[in-house]
Order: sequence, then C-alpha cells, then structure tokens
Amino acid sequence: MHIDPLEKKWAYVALGIAGLFVGIIMINALFHGIHAPSNVETIDSASLHLSEEFNEDNLGVQVENKGKVTVRMVAGRYGFFPKHITVPADTPLTFRWVSMDVLHGVHMPMTNLSTMIVPGYVSELTTTLPKPGEYPLLCNEYCGMGHDHMWSNISVVAKEHWSAPEKTSSKGDATHE
Amino acid sequence: MNELSEEERQKIIHSAPVGTWALTLIVGLSMAAAWLFLYYGVFLPRGAIG
Repeated sequence: MHIDPLEKKWAYVALGIAGLFVGIIMINALFHGIHAPSNVETIDSASLHLSEEFNEDNLGVQVENKGKVTVRMVAGRYGFFPKHITVPADTPLTFRWVSMDVLHGVHMPMTNLSTMIVPGYVSELTTTLPKPGEYPLLCNEYCGMGHDHMWSNISVVAKEHWSAPEKTSSKGDATHE
Repeated sequence: MNELSEEERQKIIHSAPVGTWALTLIVGLSMAAAWLFLYYGVFLPRGAIG
C-alpha cells in the first residue's frame, strides 16, 4: 500500500504526541501511584451497621496508628454520612465509602476526588487536598428522585490548624454533625 | 495559478512543503502544550488520586 511520505510524517507526529501523553501517564501511574481509583473489596451493604468498620460510631475522620488519616463514610439515599467532616490540607487522606442501598457516586468539585460507590463494595481512594476551604461533596450517579439533594460538606483546614477528632466510644451517641 | 510557467510549476512541486511543516509543528506543539498545561498545571495541583 502506497502512503504519501508527507502523510507518513503527519502520522509520525500524531503518534509521537500520543506516545508522549501515554508515557507521562504510565510513568506517573507506575512510579508515583497516580491512577484511577481501583479497589476490589466486598462488604455486605445490608448490614453495614453491624460491621466493625462502618458502624455508626466509627464513621468520619480517624487517625490510624501510623499517623495515616482515614475517612469513612456511608452513602445512602439521599446523603453522605457524616454530613460534615473536617480534614487537614496537604496531607494524604484515604477515603473509604460504602453504599447502604443503590449505586452512588461521589465528586468533590475543584479537586480530583471522584469515584463510584457500588453497593457490596468498598470504594477507596487516596488523595491530598491542597487548598483549604469549604467544599461540597456531591453524588454524581443518578440514585433516585432525591439525587439532586444528595450532598454533604467537607472543611479543608490548614494542617497546623487541624486536630484529630476524638474517637467516640459510646454506642448510639454519634451526632453526625 | 494558470499563469504559472511550466518551470515555475515544477519548482513549486519539487520544493519542500514548508507551509505543511509549519502547520504540523504549530498544531502539534499547541496540542502538546495544551495537554501538558492541563496535566501539570490543572490536574496534578488539584491533588493526585491513587
């Protein structure tokens, strides 16, 4: 098949550009861990309240033993619980979401925080929120008639102004502020 | 163009396609620069996802 030399050169330029983009994405994925959220971990959506990790008193922001900040939230029609959390800026945060009913999504505008929350699975992602401020957390998968009212708030505060919340030990006393 | 002599026509046909190369470079570099700006200037500063 004859291909005009100029067309070949155009093709090389286009392939070179595509190769550059794919190369940058691959390097960041392989060496810096920057990639789309992927976590395969199952959970029984019908008994979240009985699970150790996602029972009512265990939701919200927690600092694990090694200083790792973990946020656990439950998504359900039509809200994210807890309704408001405060997290530190410029700190690696691990978010873990589960759905108590149907398919939901979560999106934090002006950040890269976005993933699906599939019933029966734990959605997990790690990110850093660089800019302090008040952000909404929105559902971005249609989940029913109240979908457009499904949101909660995240306050991102400067690292030096943030203090780890005290862990509640009393059962059934969580305020879900 | 009909007023070109055969000699002028041959000269154009056999000369290097400077305009095409200029267009290739402008489009290619613009596209790469726009993508790099979005990736390094917008996407990564918003907090990498892992």
